[in-house]
Amino acid sequence: MELIPSLLQQMCVYLVFAYLLSKTPIFMPLLNISSRWEHKFSCYLIFSIFCIMGSYFGLQYEDAIANTRAIGAVMGGLFGGPIVGLAVGMTGGIHRYFMGGFTDVACAISTSVEGLIGGLLHVYLLRKNKINYLFKPQVIFLITLFAELTQMAIILVVAEPYQQAYDLVTTVAIPMILANTIGAVLFMSIIEDRKSIYEKYSTTFSQRALRIADRSVGILNQGLNTESAQTIVRIIHEETNVGAIAITDTKNILAFIGIGEQHHHANVPISSSIQQAIDENRIIDLNTTADTYQCKVNRRCRLGTAIILPLRNGDNKVVGTIKLYEARRKLLSNINVSMAEGIAQLLSSQILLGHYQQQQTLLTQAELKLLHAQVNPHFLFNALTTISAVTRREPEKARILIQHLSQFFRKNLKQNIESVSLREELSHVNAYLTIEQARLTNRLRVSVDIDPALMDIKLPTFTLQPLIENAIKHGISTMLSAGKLEIYSHKTTEGTRIVVTDNAGTFVKNKEESTGLGLKIVDKRLVNHFNERSSLQITTTKNKLTQVSFLLPTTATTNTLTTNKEN
Amino acid sequence: MLNAIVIDDEQYAREELIELLHETKQVQVIQQAENAIEGLQLINKYKPDIIFLDIQMPQITGIEMLSMLNTDTMPKVVFSTAYDQYAVKAFEENAFDYLLKPVDPARLQKTVERLVKSTQQPNYDVITLTHLEHVPCIGHNRILIIATKDIEFAHSGLSGVYINTGQQEATSQLTLKILEEKTPMIRCHRQYLVNLKAIKEIQLLDNGLAEIMTNSGQTLPVSRRYLKRLKQNLGIL
Repeated sequence: MELIPSLLQQMCVYLVFAYLLSKTPIFMPLLNISSRWEHKFSCYLIFSIFCIMGSYFGLQYEDAIANTRAIGAVMGGLFGGPIVGLAVGMTGGIHRYFMGGFTDVACAISTSVEGLIGGLLHVYLLRKNKINYLFKPQVIFLITLFAELTQMAIILVVAEPYQQAYDLVTTVAIPMILANTIGAVLFMSIIEDRKSIYEKYSTTFSQRALRIADRSVGILNQGLNTESAQTIVRIIHEETNVGAIAITDTKNILAFIGIGEQHHHANVPISSSIQQAIDENRIIDLNTTADTYQCKVNRRCRLGTAIILPLRNGDNKVVGTIKLYEARRKLLSNINVSMAEGIAQLLSSQILLGHYQQQQTLLTQAELKLLHAQVNPHFLFNALTTISAVTRREPEKARILIQHLSQFFRKNLKQNIESVSLREELSHVNAYLTIEQARLTNRLRVSVDIDPALMDIKLPTFTLQPLIENAIKHGISTMLSAGKLEIYSHKTTEGTRIVVTDNAGTFVKNKEESTGLGLKIVDKRLVNHFNERSSLQITTTKNKLTQVSFLLPTTATTNTLTTNKEN
Repeated sequence: MLNAIVIDDEQYAREELIELLHETKQVQVIQQAENAIEGLQLINKYKPDIIFLDIQMPQITGIEMLSMLNTDTMPKVVFSTAYDQYAVKAFEENAFDYLLKPVDPARLQKTVERLVKSTQQPNYDVITLTHLEHVPCIGHNRILIIATKDIEFAHSGLSGVYINTGQQEATSQLTLKILEEKTPMIRCHRQYLVNLKAIKEIQLLDNGLAEIMTNSGQTLPVSRRYLKRLKQNLGIL
C-alpha cells in the first residue's frame, strides 16, 4: 500500500511533462481526430514516447516495475485507432521487455493488448458516430481501468512462477490501477483544455474574419473608389482595432481612419513605400528593425509601424493597396498581420467579383437592348407605313426598302456576338439610315465619310447604330426644318475618332430615360473594349449641334493595319 | 363630300392617306400640312369638316395641336398613329376615330362612312391638355415656339393674335380665348391677356380705368370690366 503515494507521485511528474509538451506545436495533431496518416504517425510517435516514459517513471518493485505505461498505450489507441494503439503498445512493450525481470514477457504482451483495447474503443465510437465520447473522463477512466485489469490478468497467466506473479499482482494492482486511470483522465483533461483554448482562439479569429467578409460584401461591386474605400476602412477598423487603416488606389489615398486622422488626409498622392508595394506587387512590412514606419506629414505622429498589402484584380494586376498602421511601441500583433493578408485577399476577390458582375450586367444590358432593338416597334411600323406608301408610287424603290429593312433586322438578330468590324457596323447603320431617310424624306440629309483603312477594326456590337438612332429619334425627327446627320472619322494623336453629329442640338445630359441608358451602355462597352479614353464624348450647342464621338485607339488601328498586310 | 386636311410629318404617309381617301370618293382632301403649326394655320383658314391628325410630330404633337383649337370651331378628328399604344387606348376608350398606319383601306372606308353619317361633334376635352407649355408662333419667315412662361402678354389685332415676350412679338394661330383657358395669363382688356408675373406696375386712371406697365416697359390698357378681377388675382382687393 505504500506504493500508492509514490506511484501517484511518479504519475504527477509524468503529467507535468505531458503538460509542458502540450504547450508545444507537437501536441497540435492531438486536438483533432483524423484518419490522415500524418496524424496517425504523430499519434504513434507521441504516445510511444509517453509509453516508454511510463516505464522509466515506474518504481522498481521486487524484480518488476510498477508503472504508468498503460496511459500512453491506451491513449495511443484511443487517438490513433487499433493499429496505432497496437504499435504504441508493442513499442512500449518491447522496450519494457529489454528492461528484463520476470514479468518482461507478460508486460510486453499486456502493453500491446492495452494499446489494442484503446484502439478498439476508438473504432467502436467511430462506428457509433460518438467520437466525442473519447474526450469524456468517465470513458477514459473505465477503459483504462479495463486495460489495467486485463494487464493484471495477463501477468497472472503469463508470468512464471505463478506464485511470484500472484504476489506481485496483489501488491501492485491497486496502486497501478489508481495511478493509470487517474493519470489517463488527467492527461486527457490537459489535451481537452488545450483543445478548448485553441478552439476559442480560432473561433474569435474566424468570427472576426467572417464579420468583415459579411459586412463588406457588395461594397466593392462598383470598384475601388473613395466611397467604397471609406466604408471598408471603417468596417475593418471596427472589427480589428488596429491603430489606423488606409486604402489607396494606384495614385491616391482613398480613405484613412484611426490614429492620426487629423493629419492623414484622403485624396492625397500615395507615399513612396505604397508605390513600391504597387510596383513590386508584394507585401511591404514596415515593422522590422531595419525598416520602420515614419510619418512624413507630422513628426509627432503616434503611428510607428505599418504593413502595406497590394490589392489585386483578376489578372493579378495591382489596383490599390491596404495599409495597416499601429502606434509606436506597439508591434502589430501576429493576428493582425495574418488577418491583414486575409483581408487583402478578401478585398481582392471582392474587387474581382465586382468587376465580373459589372461585366455581367453590361452584357445583360446589352442583350436587353439588343432584344429591344430586334423588335423596336416604332421603327418597324414607321418603316412599314413608308414602304406601304412608296409601293404605290415607286414599286422598285419599295423593293429596295424592304431589302434594307430585312437586312437591318437580320443583322440585329445576328449581332449577339461581342464585337463586329466597323464595316459591318456601318452596313447595319446604312440599312437603318436608308429606311429613315425614306420615311423623313427631305427632312433628313446624311453624309458618311469614314477612312476606309479603319473598316476592319473591331468594336463592340451596337456602338454606332444607337448613336445614329438617338440623333434621329431625339434630334432630327423633332426638327421642323431640314436635319443634317454627319458620320465621319477624324485622326488625332491618340488614334481616330468616329464622330456623329446632328444639327438638332436637342441632346439633354443625364436624362433619365431609355436613350440615356442606351448611350450609357454604349459608353461602358467602349471603355471595356478599348480603354478609358474611348469613352463617349458628347458636346451640345443648344438647337444647333449635337456631337457624339468616341476614340478608336492607335493600338486598335495599327493592329488592324498589320493584320491587313499579313492577309 | 367632306372637306379634309391631312396633317402628318411624313410625306409618304400623307400621300398614301390622300390617295386612299381619294379612292373612297366621299372625302376631298383640300390641304395637307407637314407639322402641327402649319396644320393650325390651315385649319383656321379653311375650316375643314375633318382633320386626319398624326400624333407624333416634331415640336408640337397632334394632341397638343388639338388643345390649341377652339372647341366651337373644332373639326371632327381622325387620329392616326403607327405605334402608340397609350394613345390608341385613349381613342378606344372615348370612341374617337383613329387609323393605324399603314392604313387598311377597308378600315378607312368604315371610318369615312361613319363620319359621313354622324352629325354629333365628339368632345375631345378628355385627351386635350389643360395647360399649354408652349405656343407656336410665326415670326418673320420663321416659326417660333415660345414657352408659355416667357410670354408677357398677348393681344388681338387686325391680322390676328400677337404674342409678346418683351423682346419680340409674333403672330399666333391661337385665339385669346384658348390662351386665356390654357395658359396662366389673365384677361385685362377685351383684346389683352397679361402674364401676372410680367406686371411691373399698375397705374390707376380716372373713371375706373388702369394701365399696366410690364417688366419690359410696355403699357397695356386695363378696362373697367376686368380691373376688379385683375386686382383680385393680384391679391390687392
